[in-house]
Amino acid sequence: MSAGAPGFAVSWACEPATGTRALQREEQLNRFLADVERRALRIAEIAVRDRDEALDLVQNAMIKLVRKYADRSSDEWTPLFYRILQNGIRDWHRRQAVRNRVMVWFGRGSGDDDDYDIVAAAPDPAGRAPEQELENEEAMTSLEQAIQELPARQREAFMLRTFEGLDVAGTSVAMGCSEGSVKTHYSRAVHTLREKLEEHGPAGSGN
Amino acid sequence: MDKSDDKFVSEAKALFDDSVDGLDAATLSTLNRSRHRALEAAGAHHPALLRWVPVTGAAVAVLVAVMVIEPGPASVDTLPAGVDDMEILLGEDSIEMLEDLEFYAAIDALVQDDDVG
Repeated sequence: MSAGAPGFAVSWACEPATGTRALQREEQLNRFLADVERRALRIAEIAVRDRDEALDLVQNAMIKLVRKYADRSSDEWTPLFYRILQNGIRDWHRRQAVRNRVMVWFGRGSGDDDDYDIVAAAPDPAGRAPEQELENEEAMTSLEQAIQELPARQREAFMLRTFEGLDVAGTSVAMGCSEGSVKTHYSRAVHTLREKLEEHGPAGSGN
Repeated sequence: MDKSDDKFVSEAKALFDDSVDGLDAATLSTLNRSRHRALEAAGAHHPALLRWVPVTGAAVAVLVAVMVIEPGPASVDTLPAGVDDMEILLGEDSIEMLEDLEFYAAIDALVQDDDVG
């Protein structure tokens, strides 16, 4: 802008901050969400086993991030976004557990099942073409099932670290726990998954 | 974490990325709409508030104009010499009144947003 009058430029530069800067911020947010949304959807989908529910959870996380944290540094958006999403997923599981108990009360639940079974009965939401990727799909299905059987915190740690690529610090923000807990949950998750998938999992063939 | 763990993790990541790339067009379209809805919801915060700024400004300008152009005879008689209309206008009460207007505008925007959400 007015390079010849730095003093004026500094004071005047604050003026259009609400307009130009807000637009830039919105564009930044748009790029961030566009980058993260597909992985977030799959992570949510694996966690709740239903694509429509996952879409709702991702949309709610987007809205909350934009409303509450748009002014934060863009470096903070990823862990904050996943923190919101993980909270949404936890709430969803709580509601499902309540719903499951109610259905058991009314005789619709299968009595010898765990809390998880109402979710396990949900159809496989994957809608991809099976032609070339059948093996990958089967492996991914096995991986998803194994991930779904993990304790919630291990599942969160594994998906955030492995699928989203968050570091330990970012994962601790997203999970709302210490970095030490993240390391423990993640390590246990990897160990458990490897054990379960030894025969037909992604790493099984390689060992 | 040993090397075989790292290998397992990288293979799991590859499978996941593959499943992300395989998302169907309808899902991607829904995601796109969700993103724009989120950005619109946030954008609705400030414009609702900002819409009141020119209205409030215009109201104040009209008020000032009326009081300056047509000073009532009572004011000449009753007010001390050093106090004029501008001082009354710029008094704390008037500023509080304007702040209240902005406050109610902000509340209105929040209510609208909650209705949307």
